[in-house]
Amino acid sequence: MKLSVFDLLRNICRDIDKTHRSNVCALTVTEVEELRNIFALLLLGSFVGLPSPPSFLAVELLPYMQKELEILSKRAQNANDMFAEMFGALGVG
Amino acid sequence: MKILFFTGKGGVGKSTLAAAYAWQLSQKHRVLIVSLDPAHNLGDIFGVEVRGERRFSQTLLLKEVDLKKLSKAYLKREIRVLSDTYKYLQILNLDTYFAVLKYSPGIEEYALLTSIEESIKTENSFDYIVFDTPPTGLTLRFLALPQITVTWLDRLTQIRKKIIEKCYTIQNIKGPQSAGETILSYDEKDDGILQKLYSLKSNYESLNRILQGNDCSIVLVFNPDMLSLKESLRLIKGLKELKLPLRLLLHNKISPESGETMARVEKEISNVTSVPLERVSFLSDFQTNKDSVLYHIKEDLTNIIHQG
Repeated sequence: MKLSVFDLLRNICRDIDKTHRSNVCALTVTEVEELRNIFALLLLGSFVGLPSPPSFLAVELLPYMQKELEILSKRAQNANDMFAEMFGALGVG
Repeated sequence: MKILFFTGKGGVGKSTLAAAYAWQLSQKHRVLIVSLDPAHNLGDIFGVEVRGERRFSQTLLLKEVDLKKLSKAYLKREIRVLSDTYKYLQILNLDTYFAVLKYSPGIEEYALLTSIEESIKTENSFDYIVFDTPPTGLTLRFLALPQITVTWLDRLTQIRKKIIEKCYTIQNIKGPQSAGETILSYDEKDDGILQKLYSLKSNYESLNRILQGNDCSIVLVFNPDMLSLKESLRLIKGLKELKLPLRLLLHNKISPESGETMARVEKEISNVTSVPLERVSFLSDFQTNKDSVLYHIKEDLTNIIHQG
């Protein structure tokens, strides 16, 4: 499908806007991911030797924790290069 | 409805006095007596076979809680929810591994608390519920559970709210999500975890209110011996810390020989609490007197507790 010049310009503007918006909230996104990671760690901390809440609390919340568990596992994999991720989010380098 | 917990060291006569109290009370009121001790002997005291639940008289219902069965039922329910959430694991037959949760520590205390909560909330047709509790350690742990849980729930709720707040900011900056992007819940109502945290918190706070309220009484049973004294002192301290209402002390198995020890035990206990104390004498004629039944004691306990 051939795009008109007007549509092309509109798409470019929209993408620039989207990129800028993503850049603006990149740090907040990282912060949210870290908070979710902390939340999962606190709740399921007994797996890594942290003091944990009464275990039934973890059992009650586990069915809703899919996303948190994904983040937890991703963080565990990338833990050796967290500075790179932080610098990336801060736009350094 | 009034709730009573009979606590104390193992073997001091909690079950016998709880049964005696429930029986005396049932002469005027509708009473439910629940045994939470894994080593049930309610049936032995009343001379009947309870097997879960049994009506002893028009106004007295006996109940024995099977902790293992309760823990299993609770975990089965949770494992089913988990398996539903992670349904895709069924393809690889991995969903069955959730069954390992049944070995989680602390589940027994939770099951015990759930059972108390259920009795308090569902058994509305009784004027009194008398709980015969397991020995001190487990009793203190499950009585402390609502408060510990609320503290954790508060902290977790705080973090969760922060997450949602941030997600809301992201949503506001990014605008409407395009297809394929993960939509983060930014409304409290859409966040399953927060909703669950709220419902758990309200549940535990209401249970805590009941346990610390005017309608709840804790009765401490002890014997004229030093071991029982030491454990009772620990229990009194633990109850104070948890702000749970200790309302009566029962000095059980008093005999003419217990004179000096009895005085010493009572003195040490009166140093730490001013709760009313009643002596219950040791009945030595149980073996010889065929008519005597274990729940018959000559002291009127109900009168004292009402005053207390």
